[in-house]
Amino acid sequence: MKPVTTLILITLVTFVILIISPYFGLSTTTDPDIQHYILAQIRIPRVLIAFIAGSGLALCGMVFQAMFNNPLATPFTLGVASGASLGATLYVYLGLSLSFLGVDGSTVAAFSGALIAISFVYSISHFRKGFSSETLLLTGVAISFFFSSLILFTQYLSNVTDSFRILRWLMGGLSIVGYHDVIQLLPFVSLCAAIILWLTRELNLLMAGDDIALSRGVAVQQVRYLLFFVTSLCVGAIVALCGPIGFVGMMVPHICRLLIGSDHRWLAPATLLFGGGFLVLCDVIARLIIAPTEIPVGVITTLLGGPFFLWLLIKYKAQST
Amino acid sequence: MTKLLDVSDITVKVDDKILLSDTSFQLQQGDYLCVLGPNGAGKSTLLKTLMGIIKPTAGTIFLNQQSLSQLSQKHLAQQLSYVPQAHGRQLHFTVADFIKMGRYAYHTAFSDWLAEDQHAMDQAISITDTEPFLHRQMNTLSGGEVQRVMIAAALCQQTPLLLLDEPTSFLDPHHQVEVHQLIRQLNEQHNITIIEVSHDLNHAGQHSKHILALKQGKTLWYGDSSDLLQASHLHDLYGQQFVFTNHPQTGAVVALPSESP
Repeated sequence: MKPVTTLILITLVTFVILIISPYFGLSTTTDPDIQHYILAQIRIPRVLIAFIAGSGLALCGMVFQAMFNNPLATPFTLGVASGASLGATLYVYLGLSLSFLGVDGSTVAAFSGALIAISFVYSISHFRKGFSSETLLLTGVAISFFFSSLILFTQYLSNVTDSFRILRWLMGGLSIVGYHDVIQLLPFVSLCAAIILWLTRELNLLMAGDDIALSRGVAVQQVRYLLFFVTSLCVGAIVALCGPIGFVGMMVPHICRLLIGSDHRWLAPATLLFGGGFLVLCDVIARLIIAPTEIPVGVITTLLGGPFFLWLLIKYKAQST
Repeated sequence: MTKLLDVSDITVKVDDKILLSDTSFQLQQGDYLCVLGPNGAGKSTLLKTLMGIIKPTAGTIFLNQQSLSQLSQKHLAQQLSYVPQAHGRQLHFTVADFIKMGRYAYHTAFSDWLAEDQHAMDQAISITDTEPFLHRQMNTLSGGEVQRVMIAAALCQQTPLLLLDEPTSFLDPHHQVEVHQLIRQLNEQHNITIIEVSHDLNHAGQHSKHILALKQGKTLWYGDSSDLLQASHLHDLYGQQFVFTNHPQTGAVVALPSESP
């Protein structure tokens, strides 16, 4: 199938998912006014948040995979999401309530955490040239552990209410009401998506290796810094709002690559749409699987993602040997 | 005739370690320079410096009368292209897409593919004879085919200067000959200036025009390639005795490492 046909199909499927998913869910009332309120103020914003977060996470995953030239590298496996989580956790613990230029303080805290983690991973991988993918992933695991223990420590010090808030948030959830959060998140993810879509040719060349990218005329260092910055911003904003929703950034780009190929000019829009649709679907499952109780969507994505990660690891190992 | 490349007294230091010191050479359009030297001599450092990856600590490099430090990465890519070592990296592109990416330096995110781009691409494909596998995936090609595609992508950049980093290492003898013939053809028929890092003494001695021999970051000697194949030169360079004979077919002098007694 030609990439353009595949992309049209993905667009159509995503559209259908977006339109029908708000109608799925438990309904305990027959009052049309209440039903309308639930749909307009709870279900639709929730679907929108899921779509925006899913798109952003999937795109950031795609960028990491290209930049580190490794299908297992994502903001989650490299500890960037943990950094963001730590930032947001500290923000809750300190009981701060700040906002910068209309941006919620927890977003700023998560962004800072993400940026610190990414600088960590990058400087270590840069410091030691000829970094193997195993070492890179192990670095990410170490960073994740480190930040996770700091999160646990913060939680331990917190009072019961804060601790529970942190715990629920860490599971990754999309329970929001109204459109405030949608408006908070949209600008970050849009900016990030626009820049990534603008840099698709550079991503293609980075995938071929730094030496080739440089000799073709890519200002590799600047492109990397720009991409690290926008992915940190995007992951930070999503994590601050929805918690660390794992593995979307690993699964979606990989599935899209199988569907549409590795050319980022096609892969990036496909990943954006598929990522959004995917998280919306996961959230529908999370709402329905043990209704009337909802489970956090992060639990679903991680349940799917764990086995997927193992499968990729085995496949990738078999290929490289 | 004006100089295409003028490297004067460049020194490269990384963390107080001198990787390259006081290296100078000049190239004119159509030259063919082979850079020789034992491992760790500074050959890769020289290539990286020319590509703008490493900045020299001292000295100047002028490319077409423009200082290298003043050129943006894109402008540099319009002057100088590069063929890496064959090292079996996984590339998930079709051959056509990969060659096409050689035109990056002439485009912005929104510019159209023009007739001149297509012309450059067609020409690169025809010179390297990569037409037969144009629609295959890069990771299904043999080592020799990959190197031809790498050269095609570099040619697609339409640069006067081409850098090659041990382009034939890891290739079998047949593909080595094939790639070397292609490089000579580029130099002789298309007047492309070549800088090749190599370990192949006999190839360098016979086919290149000039030799730059590096050892421990210093220029051991720089001159005509016809002077290379001499016992003293080779011994200084590699710390190894060589014996000489004549090629049974062409009569050219051939160096062989001597057996230790």
